[in-house]
Parts: sequence; C-alpha cells; structure tokens
Amino acid sequence: MLSRSAQGLYWIGRYLERAQHGCRLIADQFETMKDRPVDEIDKNWRRLYQGLGRVPLGGELRSNLDDEQFMLVDAYTLADDLTFEPANPDSIRNCLANARENARQVRNVVDEDLWSCLNLAFLDLRDIEIPDIWKDRPNEFYRRTEDAVRTFFGIAESNMYRDNGWQFLQLGRFVERAQLLAALIDAQLTVYPVGGPQADPDWLSLLRICAARDSYGRLHSMQFDPAAVVDFLVADPLVSRSVRYAVARICEALDAASAGRPLAFEAGRRAGRLAALIDYDWPNRDPADDEAIRATLRAIGDDCRRLHDDIDSAYFSYGIEEGADA
Amino acid sequence: MPVEQAESGAPAEEGHLFAGYETDPAFYDEMFDADGAPRAHCRALLESLGETPHAEIAIMQERAERSFLHEGITFSVYGEEGALERIIPIDIIPRIIAAEEWDFLERGLRQRLEALNLFLADIYGPGRVIADGVIPADMVRGCPQFRIAMRGVEVAHSTYVSVCGTDLVRTHDGFLVLEDNLRVPSGVSYMLANRAAVKTSLRNVFRRHKVRGIEDYGRLLRRTLAELSPRGDRDPTIVLLTPGVYNSAFYEHMFLAREMGIELVQGSDLVARNGFVYMRTTGGLRRVDVIYRRIDDDFLDPLAFRPDSVLGTPGLFNAYRLGNVAIANAPGTGVADDKSVYAYVPEITRYFLNEEPLLANVETHLCRNPEGLEYTLDNLDKLVVKEVGGSGGHGMLVGPHATREERETFAEAIRSDPANYISQPTLDLSCAPCLAEGGAAPRHVDLRPFILRGQETRLVPGAFCRVALTPGSLVVNSSQGGGGKDLWVLSG
Repeated sequence: MLSRSAQGLYWIGRYLERAQHGCRLIADQFETMKDRPVDEIDKNWRRLYQGLGRVPLGGELRSNLDDEQFMLVDAYTLADDLTFEPANPDSIRNCLANARENARQVRNVVDEDLWSCLNLAFLDLRDIEIPDIWKDRPNEFYRRTEDAVRTFFGIAESNMYRDNGWQFLQLGRFVERAQLLAALIDAQLTVYPVGGPQADPDWLSLLRICAARDSYGRLHSMQFDPAAVVDFLVADPLVSRSVRYAVARICEALDAASAGRPLAFEAGRRAGRLAALIDYDWPNRDPADDEAIRATLRAIGDDCRRLHDDIDSAYFSYGIEEGADA
Repeated sequence: MPVEQAESGAPAEEGHLFAGYETDPAFYDEMFDADGAPRAHCRALLESLGETPHAEIAIMQERAERSFLHEGITFSVYGEEGALERIIPIDIIPRIIAAEEWDFLERGLRQRLEALNLFLADIYGPGRVIADGVIPADMVRGCPQFRIAMRGVEVAHSTYVSVCGTDLVRTHDGFLVLEDNLRVPSGVSYMLANRAAVKTSLRNVFRRHKVRGIEDYGRLLRRTLAELSPRGDRDPTIVLLTPGVYNSAFYEHMFLAREMGIELVQGSDLVARNGFVYMRTTGGLRRVDVIYRRIDDDFLDPLAFRPDSVLGTPGLFNAYRLGNVAIANAPGTGVADDKSVYAYVPEITRYFLNEEPLLANVETHLCRNPEGLEYTLDNLDKLVVKEVGGSGGHGMLVGPHATREERETFAEAIRSDPANYISQPTLDLSCAPCLAEGGAAPRHVDLRPFILRGQETRLVPGAFCRVALTPGSLVVNSSQGGGGKDLWVLSG
C-alpha cells in the first residue's frame, strides 16, 4: 500500500479515537453533574483537562466551589472549549474534521460506506455551536457523535480487506487509545491520590469512561478499590478500553504490517516491550503510595509517542536507500 | 410560443413541466423542432416527464444535489477563505442524442484524435507537416506548450494523447468542435455521477429508454493505460498522479483511481532512481510502469521542465525518455490544442489521413495574420476573443456582452501581442430544457465526450453535458455558474 495512504488511515484512526474519547469524557461529566457535589464536579474537570494535557482556553480552570450556578455556567464554557473551539486542535469537531480531511485525501482506499459515514458525521456538526446542543439535551449530541465513530469502526470491521490499510487504521486507533488511557489514569491518580479520601463514584466515573463498569463490577463484587480499578484498566487484556488491550492490538497490527522488513523491527520491538512491561513489570499495589504506578504510566505514554515516531520512520517517511533495501 | 402536443394539437395542461416552455428560433433546440413539435427521439421522455408533477421533479433534483454533497462529489473553488468544496449543480432533465447522431459524432471524434496523434508524432519527429508548409513552423515551435525535450522521444504506439476531451457545440449548422482538450481533460467523473443520479431519480423513465451504458469507462481507461506499459504483457503497475487535494478536480482523480483500482499518488510519493520510477509503499519502493498524470507538464519534473516546481518528481522525465515508464498524456500535447493550431486541424486531418474532416471547426480568425487582426479589431462587439493558450473560460472577451471599456482594454492587449489571440463568431449554442422556477426553460448546452487511445481507440457512448444555468448565458464552465446534465445516447 502507498505510504501516504497508510498514513492517512493511521491518522483517521487516531483522530476518531480522540473524538470518541472526548465524547465519552464529556458525557461522563454530565453524569457527574446530575447529582455529585460541586467539588467533585470540579475535580473531574481537572482530571479531564490534565488527562488531555490541555489548559482551558483563557487560562487555568477557575472554580468557585461555593457557587453551584457558577459551576454549571462553567460547564457550558468548558464543553464548548472541548467540543467546538476552533483554536483547540483536539476539539471534537476538529478531530472529526481532520479525520474526514485525511479520508478525503485517501478516499480511493477508503470504502464508500466508510466515507459517507464520516462525511455525514462531519457535515452534521460542521455548522452547529454549543448553544444549539445546550438548549436541548446535550448528552444526546455526544451520544450521537460517538455513535457515528462507532458506526465507522463497525463498518470498517465488517467491510475492510485485511491488508495494510486495515492494519494502519488499527494502529492509529490503538496507539491513540493507549496514550489517552495512560494519561487519563495518571490524571485520576493526581486528583484522587491513593492515600487520600476516596469515594466510590470517583472510580465509578473512571470505569464508565472506559465502558468497564459492569465487567469490573462482576469481577470485583462491586467493590471499587482504587488500586484494583487501576489494575483492571491498565493490565487486563480483556477490557477493550484498557492499555493492555490496546497494546495487544498494536502488536498484532505491526506484526501483520511489517512482513519481516528490517526497518519495521524497531517499532515491533518497542510494542513488544510495552506489552512485557505491563505483563511482568507492572508495580505491585501499594495502598499508601502510587508513585511507582504513576511513573510507569508516564513511561507508557512516552513509549507510545516513540512508537509513533518508529512507525513514521519505518513506513511513511523512510529514506530512499532504506526503501530500496526492502 | 407555448409548446403543443404534436399529436393532439391540444394546449399543454397547467402544471405540466413543459407548459410554459418557449423555444427561441435563434437557437437549435435539443428537444423540439422548429415548429415546436417534440423531436422523435425525445417523445418518450417528454411523455414520461409530463406525467410527473413539476414539484416532484424539483424535489428529485434537490435530492440528487444533496447526495452529491454527502458523497463528496465536489470541486474546489478558490476564494479568500481558502478552498471551498462545491458541487456542480445537476439539471435532472436528461439531454438525448439519437443513435445516428452519436454514430456520426463517434466517427468524427475517432478521426480527429487519430489526426491529432499523427500530428504530434510528426512535429516531435520528422516534422513533415511543417516542411510541407501545412502549418507555420513558428506557430508550432514557438508555442509555449511545445516541449523541445520531447524531440525524438519514443512514445508507445505513437499515442501522445491517450485521453482526449473534445468540447462540441451544436448550432443550426450541426455539430462543431469548440476545442480539443489534449492535456489533462477533466469532467468524466461528473458524466458518471450525473448518470448515477438520474438513474436513481428517474428510474422508471430511464428503464423505458434504451440508453447505452457508460459505466465501463474506468475499465476502458485502465486497459488503455495498460497498453502503454513498457513491460509488455506483465500486469503493469499504473498510478494516477494528482497535484493533491487542493486541486479543483481532486474528486475526479480519487474517483478514477478507485474505478481503475490503482494508487492515487502525488509527486512526493514517487521517486526516480537509476532511470526507473518507484512509489513509496509501506513495503518499500515499488516500480511504477504507467503514470496517468493529472498535472500539467510544468509540474512533472523540475529537472526537465519548471525548476521552481515543488510538485514534481526529479528524474521522472529521464526515466520516461529511457522508456522505463509511460506517461499519459505524453508531455507536450498542449501544442495541439493551442487555439491557433486548432484553426489548422481540418488541414492537418486532410494532410495525414487523406480524408475530409467529419467534424467541423468554428470559423476562427488568427490575429497573428494581418487580415485576421484587422477583422477582429473591427468586429470586437460581435466576436469572442480568446488567448491561444487559455482555458476554462479565462482570458477571453465575449464581445457582445462586454462594455465599451472592456473591449477597448482588450483591443490594447490584442494589438500589443497579436499572435496570442484568436477570434471566433459568437456561437448560437443549442438549448435544452432545464428545470427552472415554474417549469422547464431553455438553457444553452455543450457536450464533452472522452476519447481514449492506447493501442486502439475507445470511447463510451456518453459525454459530460455542460449547461449555462443562468438564463441567456453562453458560459457553461463549472467555475462560472455552469451545471451538468446527464446525456443519453440511445441505442438504435
């Protein structure tokens, strides 16, 4: 497959995963805002922003914990920032616009059904703004948008030929997922440190974002132990929104795409080490101190970024001499 | 002049799509004859559409256009806010060409493309046509589209033009060739998209006609390109070279790449190395055999053509000259669609084929000749003046519609560089019924069929039919308010 086409599919995967993650974060925030105390709403906004590595437009999060009304107005501004803000490169609308633009450029390798799914999703939110979704039920907007992403991957799953196009779509999606999850869990531990006061809903919310509430509940008798939740979302290979699951998909995709090319060795090795790190070197639970866990989460994030560079230099922007050796 | 039903002689009913349709005797009407009676090959369509309420047809048209937007069948217009994606509006009422009309056009188009290819092979080869005085040497070699680098280059099957889009118009005098597009003609995707849309919207009407299929175009193009491959029988690697997503025809490039099942590449995806051309794939470099390029000569290879171009692939032309890769169309074909060379195509046809040209040219005055210059300047208010290398409706003056000032400014330009201009009479382009407010109304139309040539010549029975949607306008260009129509060629 043409390198630029593969690269386009890789970025479609990344942007759509990012858009979906954004939808899930905000949708969960609406859950919190239904009945949780103001300081918890505030903490969750902080978790959300730190997890995305972003500072709200106009500076730090301002909080006025004595004023519920303020917190609700603030939600409007923050949701706007994360959803529609043109200057926010990772806003949900920008993610969809970028995914769609990438698809437009490589449309000849994108299934027609996939293209129209993405094009329609983009056209749906191209011309609306935060007041349009706020006056109705905003959660519905996020559900609809997330549904569009899910539909996209559903069509991909059922229609795509499993050549490198598919592998790179997977790679983009799961490199993004691993990176976003590692950052989100790290942010959770910043806002709700293991030694500090704990409440079930704080961890329930994290599980909800990862669509893992029910499966966790069944396995752990509905006991929301922070360390167990973190373990579950990082290391359980059966949770579709866990770091380990994402890494497994990355390994598979790299394996299928590389076909033994020496250039691709580095990316495969890094992904394999990442899997081994989680399987064998994931720190033991320490109820008093989460520093080891957090350091490991940051190392996972760094490795994902390097993995991205490895993929780029092995498949997309290799030198002519290196390419000729293939 | 309200149109009456030919058989019954009764006035058309209220609400009938054609109730208020008035033909203008100055222009040939594609659907009605001079007496206002439907032409024989249009009767069935007229009856079917007559049964459909006007409002319903308007809704079909709107749906068809919305589907274009949703499917991204768009072209880009450049404005202050960057490129905008627009659709080419479709007029849902098809234009019909009778079987015998098409047979004539097909023969004429095949003949013309054959003559043009022989002409190109000659001017980049022995140059007999010039030595024999058929065409002035400086008109050919002084043409900005003449590529000296092409002298003596071996071209597979001597096919310089593999894809030709000929603009035809119809007047009371019959069909005329308005121009030959021999560089990177576009519009074929709209031909196919309009057909798909009309087949969906008017499926019952469509089924009642024997319309010849055009859906094979992509496969025919692929076969044509494969015939140019330097590697003989081996299944060649063919790519479509696009300037990228900001090009106004990008949708078409993508569409054709998909229809042919080939890669869509940009200059940066190609690498020329040791006299061969490769593309960058996820599995390393892979050799390319045929390049269907949709970029101008200038941007192919900065080493051979424009040194400041960043779009091209350095070394590409060298690989081409060595015969290791085919480029379609060949570089340098633009000299044959230059508007002053155009005036010589009838002579060129006679010279190379010993046949009378079947398709007529529009009467053309060359300002490079003193008498042509004088005639042009004296009749500016009646003529259309064009730059010899211009295209897309740019760099031209439509005398009758221009202000006095515009004509004077243009006259200055002509005087300062006469050889750069030609003039033609304002053409009485034929009209076809189009959906307008309140019913069908006549609008001017032309057609662009696409003719393919590898080892042999092929064409699908169809064309991109362009429509000037503004009442009275003769400008059909998509960039200037033109739309499209499906064109039906009936089988005999």
